[in-house]
Amino acid sequence: MYGFLGPNGAGKTTTLRMVMDIIRPDSGTLRLFGQAASCVPRSRIGYMPEERGLYRKMTVSAVLAYFASLKGVAGAELRTHVAQWLERIALAEHANRKVEELSRGMHQKLQFAVTVINSPDLVILDEPFSGLDPVNQDLLRQIITEMRDAGKTVLFSTHVMHEAERLCDFLVLINRGRVVVDGTLDEIRRGHDSHTVSVELEDDGEFVRTLPLVQEVRPEGRRLEMRLRDGADPQELLRTLVARTRVRAFETKQPSLHEIFVRLVGAGDAEHH
Amino acid sequence: MRNIIRVARREYIETVKTWTFILGLVVVPVVLGGLILFGDRLGPDQNASRAPIRVGVTNPSAELLAKIQAVFEEYNKSHPRGPVALVEVDGDEPAEQQGKQMLRQDRLDACVAFEGDLEGGQGEMRFYTYKLKSSEIDALWTVERLIRDAIISRRYETRGLDRAIVQAITSVATERIELGEEQGQERVQDQNHQMARMMIPFAFMYLIFIGIVGMGQHLVSSIIEEKNSRIIEVLLSVVSPFRLMAGKIMGLAAVGLTVVALWGVMGYTIARWQGIKIDISGDLIAYGLVYYVLGFLLFSAVLAGVGSICNTLKETQSLLMPIMLIFVVPIMAGVKLVQSPNGDLARVLSFVPPTTPMVMILRLSSGSEIWTGEVVLSIVVLAAGVLATLWAAAKIFRTGILMYGKRPGPREIARWLFER
Repeated sequence: MYGFLGPNGAGKTTTLRMVMDIIRPDSGTLRLFGQAASCVPRSRIGYMPEERGLYRKMTVSAVLAYFASLKGVAGAELRTHVAQWLERIALAEHANRKVEELSRGMHQKLQFAVTVINSPDLVILDEPFSGLDPVNQDLLRQIITEMRDAGKTVLFSTHVMHEAERLCDFLVLINRGRVVVDGTLDEIRRGHDSHTVSVELEDDGEFVRTLPLVQEVRPEGRRLEMRLRDGADPQELLRTLVARTRVRAFETKQPSLHEIFVRLVGAGDAEHH
Repeated sequence: MRNIIRVARREYIETVKTWTFILGLVVVPVVLGGLILFGDRLGPDQNASRAPIRVGVTNPSAELLAKIQAVFEEYNKSHPRGPVALVEVDGDEPAEQQGKQMLRQDRLDACVAFEGDLEGGQGEMRFYTYKLKSSEIDALWTVERLIRDAIISRRYETRGLDRAIVQAITSVATERIELGEEQGQERVQDQNHQMARMMIPFAFMYLIFIGIVGMGQHLVSSIIEEKNSRIIEVLLSVVSPFRLMAGKIMGLAAVGLTVVALWGVMGYTIARWQGIKIDISGDLIAYGLVYYVLGFLLFSAVLAGVGSICNTLKETQSLLMPIMLIFVVPIMAGVKLVQSPNGDLARVLSFVPPTTPMVMILRLSSGSEIWTGEVVLSIVVLAAGVLATLWAAAKIFRTGILMYGKRPGPREIARWLFER
């Protein structure tokens, strides 16, 4: 499961459209499954774009069957696939209703089923959870996880960082069309350790401001948040604190993906301006 | 190729099963057929009653006045509900002036002034009206005819000729008979039948026009729907833009063929029923198919290109207006083309791709001799036009279909054309 992140206008949709051969790159090449992207049969990829829609006047099952047939599913297999997926996304009882009669959440689930009905090897989902209630979000998450476990690659593009943090094994962040960072969540976190420590001391801790290890101190309720200088060891700080006063709590903080995102994108933009 | 057919099939089914389509399919022939069958009843109603038409005449001789009076009375006997009445023109002014004044005062509907020796064959008659109503025109023509008839009768009398004799000499009874294919099969034809026959080539051209232009509207609205409801990107992830466009065009061409075939058969049946013989050879049907398909491809390629760069139907309409004008030329020039199917205008329009299909079908169905080379050449020119347009449309469609918001300008479109 691969998270594809970036701020608005970073080039995510453009990249995905190039992957789908909907638009062609001005320069450079794009390879998928070891061959040029334009040579890969479209049926091997399922794409759920952010700008999405379905034929409003067609029935739910007809839409599903139409897209499945365009993706090469035919005959008896077509019927069973449609029936299975309608069951899976809990729309079986709405099979004969027109798409325009569906709620937004149902529409979204149908769109998802359209994307994956032929079990493609690569599934690209652009903001798949937007518009879904928590129950349906769980359903989708479960299906996506099953697809990953079945050996499919899921590439998923989102703004919602905690979603990416929760689901993705591997992440790539782009800004202004370029990769800013990529790797597993742990790798990225390690590379962007914020050197932040949160402590709760018995006294007011005024002395910590004078410590050479500490760059910045910020009160956070009863705690103090300290940013350490580059290369400073939190263990050494702990020893220093214990020597001077009683330490009630000591925590080294891992930066969240959100923080890393804001920091990287903000830095990139500042550089650009 | 399979996906082109799948797109085409969906397009066909979804178009054919809409209410608007079914309504159009049925309503148009019913209205047209009704007009043909009951058209004569829609004409001026001879039995409708109306107020008498008041006619004043100035300076007639006593004999002419008596003749007019007699002719009017004769007419009123057969038309009691729409009579004509002779009104005396009196007053202080000279008669003609007085008549005009009475017209303005709404005391007359028409004033006829005689000048010179009309009965002797000289002079003229002036027919005055004031604020002429369209509903009165027909009645006034009748008045004019009656007065002219009275004058002619007077001319016979002054020369001492018997009008009945002259009439017997000048009238020649005529019967128009169209032979059937089998011996002894004959059918008397009146002038209406012959007029209808003259219109047959025009009907063929109109069928092709409806098939091409009428279906084009469906194509544009289908593209705009896919664009507006954001289906397009989902579709493009499954089929290539070219296949999508080709499928849509094929599907709607098939819809158009269905319509043309149905209407054609209906028209043929009505014509046969009315006793109008139409020669439809296998050649004509084959040519019709070729020209229809090529014409449809040309028009829909233009529409696909235009539709893809617009966001609303309104936008496409303003862009399509000038293009439509070219396609409408044969319809506007219809009468001239029917009269001289091998004239210069017909020949030139046969080689202008947008007008080729309609003009060639008109010429081929008019029964005039057309050199085969000309037919082949027109098909070649049309096919070349189709290929060039499809190429350009595919390029524009590919990029335009994903653009929302501002419509691209000519320069941007030109850049797309020469992109890789």
